[in-house]
Amino acid sequence: MAMKPEAILRLIAARRGDAICVPTMTTAPAWRTLAFDDLSIGCVGFMGGASSLGLGLALAHPERRVLVFDGDGSLLMQLGALATNAGAAARNFVHFLFKNNVYHTSGAQEIPGGDGVDFVMMAKGAGYREAFALHELDDLERRLPHILTAPGPLFVQLHTTLADQTPMTAGMGVPFPTQVDALHSRLIALDSVR
Amino acid sequence: MPESIPAPLIIDTVKDTFKEARAALAKEGVKSRHDHLGWILSVPDTHQKSVLAALDKERALRVLTCSTEDEANAIAAGLWIGGEPVMVMIQHAGLYASINTLRGVAIDGRVPVFYMIGLLSRERDKDPRESRHSMVRYCEPLLDLFDVPHARLEGPNDVHRIPEYYRLSRERRGPAAVLVGLETS
Repeated sequence: MAMKPEAILRLIAARRGDAICVPTMTTAPAWRTLAFDDLSIGCVGFMGGASSLGLGLALAHPERRVLVFDGDGSLLMQLGALATNAGAAARNFVHFLFKNNVYHTSGAQEIPGGDGVDFVMMAKGAGYREAFALHELDDLERRLPHILTAPGPLFVQLHTTLADQTPMTAGMGVPFPTQVDALHSRLIALDSVR
Repeated sequence: MPESIPAPLIIDTVKDTFKEARAALAKEGVKSRHDHLGWILSVPDTHQKSVLAALDKERALRVLTCSTEDEANAIAAGLWIGGEPVMVMIQHAGLYASINTLRGVAIDGRVPVFYMIGLLSRERDKDPRESRHSMVRYCEPLLDLFDVPHARLEGPNDVHRIPEYYRLSRERRGPAAVLVGLETS
């Protein structure tokens, strides 16, 4: 079975608390409708960079959970990031991989290796503290409390269907520099009330 | 003639740069969560290996070795958004490898990213733009093409360019670079 990405994101949005979230590509349009104007920043304009952007945020804010919503095609563009993320050993870092086996945005061409690519094994080999795959929404719901609290870096491969929208059909949303400014300012504002 | 810059001089200058950056961030209201002064994101550069070796023993600076320069750019963005002083230490070949991410993060994204770029194989008796090595020769023209301000570190007297270009990256909200002319000592 494969999960609907929108259902996954709804579940996470309801439980994430004050986590910073980093969607990219096909997770971005749905996330915008669930969690706009908050502690989120989309990786736009440098495909493959979502987990690195999230790692920087996790290192800067070790007191706050950082959740990355990566794609399989995106991760393949920066596969070495798995080793960098694991090596940085940020305990607050969670790397969700939405695995639909295609480059959805450009027309659903199969990723190199297709369904056979085992990112969980790669993440384990790179040194993530935990890495596992989930196929059912019930399993995700059951394990989400652990995912949102256990020491990271965690890697969670989510087997999904195609999203309802892509950045091409839904638009790119708020421009990246505006998102950068907004999150930078919000984090500073939160510091002032600490 | 260019001269080699000793690693301790570069490290002390970076520490001073980050101290100044932390003070500026504190004025903005950013609270530091770390004991160290700031982050150096590195994809190891042979040209700057004496600096990297000295950084191994340095507790005031946190070094994160990245698999690629693309990652270093994006991690730098996250650290800057999160209020941390950060610089990227790479080689000219890494600049070429990561130019799309530099564009996406530092230019289009308007994230300040400061780079120290080693000009491996730069000849002592030649201007880099006249080098017989394309990787040396193309570096400054490429930075010019992308409107990235840059300065040469041609010897110990040029290390003041480090804080100057770090500040410039913050002021202009974009990339700025210094180019390490000869292998550090």
